[in-house]
Amino acid sequence: MADATGEKVPVTVLTGYLGAGKTTLLNRILSEQHGRKYAVVINEFGELGVDNDLVVDTDEEVFEMNNGCICCTVRGDLIRIVGGLMKRRDRFDGIIIETTGLANPAPVAQTFFVDETVRDKTRLDAIVTVVDAKHLPQRLADSPEAADQIAFADVIVLNKTDLVTPEELQSVEAAIRAINPFAKIHHAERARVPIADLLDQGAFDLNRVLAGRPDFLADESHTHNEDVRSISFEVETPLDPERFNAWIGVLLAERGADLLRTKGILSYAGENRRFAFQAVHMIADGDFIGPWKPGETRSSRIVFIGRNLNRPQLRRGFESCQAA
Amino acid sequence: MSTTVSSDHILQTRGVSQELGAYVVAAAFARGGASCTFALGDGSVHIAPRAGGVWRSVAGHDGGVLALAPGAGPADFVSGGDDGRFRRIGEDASDIATFGLKWVEHVASFADAKTRLLACAVGRQVHVFDGSGKKLKTLDHPSSVTGLVFDAKGKRIAASHYNGASLWFVAAKTDNARKLEWKGSHTGIAINPDGDSVVTAMQENALHGWRLTDGGHMRMTGYPGKTHSLSFTRNGRWLATSGADAIVLWPFFGGGPTGKTPTELAGGDGVVCTTVAANPQQDVVAAGFADGLVVLAEINAARVLPVCGPGRGPVSALAWSADGAHLAIGTETGFAALVDFSKQQ
Repeated sequence: MADATGEKVPVTVLTGYLGAGKTTLLNRILSEQHGRKYAVVINEFGELGVDNDLVVDTDEEVFEMNNGCICCTVRGDLIRIVGGLMKRRDRFDGIIIETTGLANPAPVAQTFFVDETVRDKTRLDAIVTVVDAKHLPQRLADSPEAADQIAFADVIVLNKTDLVTPEELQSVEAAIRAINPFAKIHHAERARVPIADLLDQGAFDLNRVLAGRPDFLADESHTHNEDVRSISFEVETPLDPERFNAWIGVLLAERGADLLRTKGILSYAGENRRFAFQAVHMIADGDFIGPWKPGETRSSRIVFIGRNLNRPQLRRGFESCQAA
Repeated sequence: MSTTVSSDHILQTRGVSQELGAYVVAAAFARGGASCTFALGDGSVHIAPRAGGVWRSVAGHDGGVLALAPGAGPADFVSGGDDGRFRRIGEDASDIATFGLKWVEHVASFADAKTRLLACAVGRQVHVFDGSGKKLKTLDHPSSVTGLVFDAKGKRIAASHYNGASLWFVAAKTDNARKLEWKGSHTGIAINPDGDSVVTAMQENALHGWRLTDGGHMRMTGYPGKTHSLSFTRNGRWLATSGADAIVLWPFFGGGPTGKTPTELAGGDGVVCTTVAANPQQDVVAAGFADGLVVLAEINAARVLPVCGPGRGPVSALAWSADGAHLAIGTETGFAALVDFSKQQ
């Protein structure tokens, strides 16, 4: 169990718009025979069909931090619940947090970076978003939260595929990719997805940032500024770490509210190791990870997911970080 | 700290201890003083007679115990758990109230010759009961209650929450809270024994205080970590706090704490102080550290005495008997001890 090794408890965040199949998926995770025990934090009790003594009923309480950063919000209720669960951490292997249908995932994610106790005892493993293949286009049109939930996802369960034609499915998948090119997408009917594809993903592990090459769509011509979309850049000249830090620091401080997630693998001048970087809004985390492999192209890649992204400006900024 | 004798000397010569096998969430002495209770993360409650003898174990909660306090009577206790139960712990455990899947995160009690009160916090609500467990009232708050405390006379009860704290008169016919406001997330609370100030711990590694006499604010900052434990000394002159690598004591006299530098005791080795408990009879504070070290600090003499040395897990619970003679110690890894400081032959 978790405490025997002193390892941090993995936390999976389950998001999804109302009616997408989130509760069905949660019931599936809990009823499957996988030999592991989960503490489950829910907001809408009543639909859960599984008897689990570690179900915690909570009211989502989004708190602003007094650190001068307007978009830095945390889930106060989660800080208390994780603290309480850690007093009996030998009873479970992981924590699953279900958010309400209309929730913005940012406060949940930020809680795992901002609060010292939560950060010390747990690690955010992945954000899993359930989307309804049939109704997603409508949701994206009428609700900013639907796009936020896709933007933050590490894993997307594209549910109810039996209710759409192959053409509709293709178009819905393209819509998802335009917002988030690096999430893993799993097709499902009645939320039937192998548990191994959802849990223990290590998506926030710096060693696995941009592990898979994101598949970007070439055509981004039809987006509005307020739509969530993604942009990526790659440069082959090594970067100057000081220039990069100065640029990204100012960028996140000024534009953090619009930048939902940022991920990068960087090649620094005179450095044999890869530098991994990620941010949720303004909260950034970065460190050196393993050395570049022999023969590997040493390029620096960065991906932004957000609103009102100015491609030429971001490109110029990133390119200005190249070492002279 | 350098000592010529073992830092476990006091534990070995004046203490009894047990390995209880689960996180010690809280410790408390019965009002009558005959026993001390340790409440654990596995739901069990262990009652140790002060006079010595066998420790008794009671199945307290189905899940983990989240909070513990002395009961209204001379020998019982009250507890809250993640099984949604507010319980009385006597010979065995019985429900005072149940709240479904909601956690009972905080409990408090008060008893004197005339008044006996019990209270628990569940989500945004505080429920107040008389000594027999009959519900008197429910007090609503704007967000979840994170700390709950009666004042020294049992007249008022205070709860911390997001954006401040609420102070209620227990006996009021219509319930209107005095709102103590300060932006941010408040995570714990204490009332000065003199009744003139309320202090909360905050998410941002700071304390906030309100002078009740004139509504003035007090800011106490500089902590490297969050303060989980707050304890006023017997006459309210000092507020002992955890959250730094020393016991941080704020002076509540001579115009303090605002603009005053706090006194730091038992610091210097870089280990975080996790729990504090002021002695109810003398200006002495017991403090536990993240490495398991427990010390007594005499505030005025700035003298520090080790009670037990490092190595038994981060200290998570400390409690004094009302006469100030016995100290209960509990750690995250399940070590529990009862140490006798009374004069010995």
